[in-house]
Amino acid sequence: MYSHDVVIVGSGLAGLRAALELAGNLDVAIVSKLYPSRSHSGAAQGGVAAALGNVDGDSVEAHIYDTVKGADFLGDQDAIEILCNDAPRTIYEMEHWGCPFSRTEDNRINQRAFGGHSYLRACFSADRTGHALLHTLFEQTYRQGGKLRLYSEWHMLRLIIEDGICRGVVAMNIHTGKLEVIRGKAVLFGTGGYGQAFKITSNASANTGDGIVAAYRAGVPLQDMEFVQFHPTGLYLHGILLTEGARGEGGYLINAEGDRFMSRYAPSKMELGPRDIVSRSEQTEINEGRGAGPNKEYVLLDLRHLGAKKIMERLPQVYNLAKDFIGVDCTADPVPIQPTAHYSMGGIPADNDCHVYLDEQGNHVTGFYVAGECSCISVHGANRLGTNSLLEALVFGRRAGKKMLDDVPRLKLAPVDEQREISAAQRQIEELYKGPATEDLDTIREELKQTMTLKVGVYRDAGGMEPAQAKIKQLRERFAKVRVGDKGKSFNINLLEALALSNMLEFSELIVDGALAREESRGAHFRNDFPTRDDNNWMRHTLAFRTEDGGHELRYKPVTVTKYQPEERKY
Amino acid sequence: MKYALYTGCVAKGAARELLAASLLVCEKLGVELVEMTDASCCGAGVIGEDNPMVADILNARTFSLAESQGLDIMNICGTCQGVHRKAQRKLENNVAYKERVNTELKKDTGREYKGTLKIKHFYEVLLQEVGLEKLRQKVVRPLKGLKVAPFYGCYALRPPQVNDLKNPDDPDELEGLIETLGATPVDYPERLKCCGFPIMMMNKDNSLKLAGNAVAGAKDAGADLIVTPCPLCHLNLDSYQPQFASKMGRELGIPILHVPQLVALAMGFSQAELRTKTHVVRPTGALAAI
Amino acid sequence: MANNKVLFRIQRFDPEKDEKPHHQDFEIELAPGATILKTLHQIRAEQDPTLALRYSCGSAICGSCAMKINGHAILACKTQVSECVRDGTVRVAPIGNLKILRDLVVDIEPFWESLGKVKPYLMPKGAAPDRERTQTPAQFGSIDPSTTCILCAACYSDCNALEVDPSFVGPASLAKAHRFIFDSRDAARQQRLREISQRTGVWDCTHCGECSTRCPTETKPLERIEEIRVQAMADGHHGNAGARHALGFRESVGKRGFLDENWLALRSVGFFNLPGLISLMPVGLRMMIRGKMPPLIPHTIDKVDEVKKIFARFEELRK
Repeated sequence: MYSHDVVIVGSGLAGLRAALELAGNLDVAIVSKLYPSRSHSGAAQGGVAAALGNVDGDSVEAHIYDTVKGADFLGDQDAIEILCNDAPRTIYEMEHWGCPFSRTEDNRINQRAFGGHSYLRACFSADRTGHALLHTLFEQTYRQGGKLRLYSEWHMLRLIIEDGICRGVVAMNIHTGKLEVIRGKAVLFGTGGYGQAFKITSNASANTGDGIVAAYRAGVPLQDMEFVQFHPTGLYLHGILLTEGARGEGGYLINAEGDRFMSRYAPSKMELGPRDIVSRSEQTEINEGRGAGPNKEYVLLDLRHLGAKKIMERLPQVYNLAKDFIGVDCTADPVPIQPTAHYSMGGIPADNDCHVYLDEQGNHVTGFYVAGECSCISVHGANRLGTNSLLEALVFGRRAGKKMLDDVPRLKLAPVDEQREISAAQRQIEELYKGPATEDLDTIREELKQTMTLKVGVYRDAGGMEPAQAKIKQLRERFAKVRVGDKGKSFNINLLEALALSNMLEFSELIVDGALAREESRGAHFRNDFPTRDDNNWMRHTLAFRTEDGGHELRYKPVTVTKYQPEERKY
Repeated sequence: MKYALYTGCVAKGAARELLAASLLVCEKLGVELVEMTDASCCGAGVIGEDNPMVADILNARTFSLAESQGLDIMNICGTCQGVHRKAQRKLENNVAYKERVNTELKKDTGREYKGTLKIKHFYEVLLQEVGLEKLRQKVVRPLKGLKVAPFYGCYALRPPQVNDLKNPDDPDELEGLIETLGATPVDYPERLKCCGFPIMMMNKDNSLKLAGNAVAGAKDAGADLIVTPCPLCHLNLDSYQPQFASKMGRELGIPILHVPQLVALAMGFSQAELRTKTHVVRPTGALAAI
Repeated sequence: MANNKVLFRIQRFDPEKDEKPHHQDFEIELAPGATILKTLHQIRAEQDPTLALRYSCGSAICGSCAMKINGHAILACKTQVSECVRDGTVRVAPIGNLKILRDLVVDIEPFWESLGKVKPYLMPKGAAPDRERTQTPAQFGSIDPSTTCILCAACYSDCNALEVDPSFVGPASLAKAHRFIFDSRDAARQQRLREISQRTGVWDCTHCGECSTRCPTETKPLERIEEIRVQAMADGHHGNAGARHALGFRESVGKRGFLDENWLALRSVGFFNLPGLISLMPVGLRMMIRGKMPPLIPHTIDKVDEVKKIFARFEELRK
């Protein structure tokens, strides 16, 4: 059993930023199933938003409004104000720490256009912004030397909450298979999103919602799970992200007829409409038979007119991805793309200081904090604007750090029944070896992903979601019949995948149920059977609570509105 | 077939046997050579890590000297070949840079590099211009029973964009040559590795380890001798062999031959003509059978 | 549909069962456009779930999936199987120079440690300004290649110097050092150059070129190593054998257009470095006996004046 002041689970942007805030002040440990530089934060490409005003007359207020509107009025405006107000300071801090930013002709951080933003506020590093930021924070951990304890390639299995007090986690050392309790006065989750539940996703294999499910199973509700963002430009066949920055630099979206179809859906913003609108537009084109390719299943991202020089300078990763993964030279040909499950607006609910909520009344879990994609504060509401997620992770990672710095002196290292916790985790694992092996792990996972993409994807309706609900229940039953084939202790990928699938089956139910219950369309959640936004009934956050019988119930809480009353969302 | 012969420094210094063998073989094959007595050292990559512009000007000058004679360059040193091809690629890939280099070159010498010439290593001339078929006809003493391990050397292999190997990650050009000469090529794990020559002065231990691993690897795979297109590899693998053999605590005794020497043997020349007496590890024993 | 069968020969090692690594053959029906990573997952799903490997993003940015295919390191997620088939077989093994933990998974801790040796974080000048520190687009351009490094360790895997000397700091660390040496915002350039010029640093690279050949990004460590050496030479970090060797080249070629090898050896080692000079004796003696010694009267090229003119402008031509 190990003990620290603070245990951070997840070593992406949010986790690392919090850790750096605390290093040297508190005894901090980072538990992560990946080495820090492998975290999915590094896959973000296009930029990080801040109203620096380096290339135009931007303002924090404009950033706030764009984000509120982008969230389709489901974002908590006080949190959004914090996000946008802290953005410039955050970017400068990253730059001071050495983050390499692309520069303007007058040597300032360059900023470009991005979907849903009415000013050029995406600060970027070529098209590798997430990578640049993640590596900057990773480099800073070296500066901290021995002040940070890293448990890298440790897989968190359980969150220990007892009597409303968070006490630590149970984690498995992936190298040895050994289970350990790691206690903390405070625990922070920066565990990322849950896009792997979908067949076509930009998310890494690691994004299986381990953190949110561990919290959920420990009695913490999950908020707004039904809001999954589908990014418009996922590389065909792979779902790999091609940055929105490609459209920010002037790229076009065209259908099989060569038509820039966004003129019919978002005439003023065109390709730079917010992601939910653009993805739906693409899906409509495909559904209505104007898709390109032999099976008419994708649309095209056309960058040719930008010229090779601009592409290689501003979008080199896009160029390499299209070439390496599907053999398309984007300087010569348009690139096949599809909407891809990209970002999880839903997650663990918390206040503006990242302190986790126990319920919709505002009660907290003592000693439990969240930041980044796994949290739902909520700054993104029903739809996230691009470049706001990297920002969120940095802003709230720091805020969580500061909050824990404040709280920890008053918190105690609460007692943990090590034997009981380890046994519970052990049982979790043993269950996976007990099945009769009449069902197959990979098959169930495939079926889940297909179901989610087809029935709980860009376009939803009861006719698709009700069968999806039933299907997921059936998959959960079939999952019990799986038997993990690998009995090894060290690096048992098979076991880790089974654990991940168990998580995905659990939270997928919450996505479908939340989506079914929400009889309106808002942001990324669009229903053909309820195509309009219903502020009277539905301007509220969904909270899913686990019930004793392993089921769940949905409750709701209001959205915080400070300045901007809901209006029609047109671009 | 006529080439401007670029000897490189080592073939006129510590590996004069290479030049001798090259001249003998080319004469017999009808490859006319005009020695570039006014060409400078290629820099061996070392000048390029001190002052890249100077290195590029020196090599542009060498290229212009050949061009002014209307000849392509033939190298007999693997390192010179690699350095030349790299420099040529750098100039050809960047018009502005080429212009800058030419400006400086003109300033000091009045010369200009046009970009019309080809640069080949002796073994490439053999394979591409002479051809294995014609070579086979010139073999009067097939090296039957001789097990030969090719050691390509880094500059012949990497970067893959500056050589003509069909498959730089798994080449068989030297193997094909060995077979054509009647010998048996030997495969061993170190054939594409570094001999350690570049760090002999900086880190002798590491250099000797690299050389030792290569020779031991060839020996353990059954080789009678090693053949290499680079005299710097030859130097490290041959001249230091007693030293690294003793460090490894084993007998090695694997002679190292330059490519032209192997070819010359198969063409009937004697060891004396190939000046193998200058090798630290003499090939007399290994070549006794043929 | 044509039969598209390929044999994957995969190196296995189970620490609980095996004494040493061995390989296992899997025959697989290739899917069109299949990558190495996708195919390994196919093997795990269809034939053997116990195969262990690292993977995450699947889009060549996280660096997890480096492995050796046919003896050379690549990124599995972006490598097409069709380009790797040799006589119907693809050989798969873990990356090199690191201890094998299980199957294709290696102990990568030494790699992270080697990064620490070059102080891989910005050490800026003075107090931070209110806004961003300024930097020109060209200055960003100088560090752009080395910042693309995804720390996949493909370079580390195939580095010939590391194979014989694990204390060598390695190509990734040198590329990382480059990233800070050339960052206009870093204030520690000379300190970095001084440290990197010492043993286990930049002059221990044997120039084998594997790192740049295997690098899946624009980092290309060998080119970065060369640039570090150029800067170290320009800034006068000459107190080491590598720099002396380069000076020897400069002086000899500048004078004769050619290398005086005897003199170069002495120059590199150091004329007053007694132990170094003594260490040259065995090979020197041997070469002398064989008649292999380069001529004591060094060779000078024809038209050497042209070369002298170039070298006369040596410093000017640095710009």
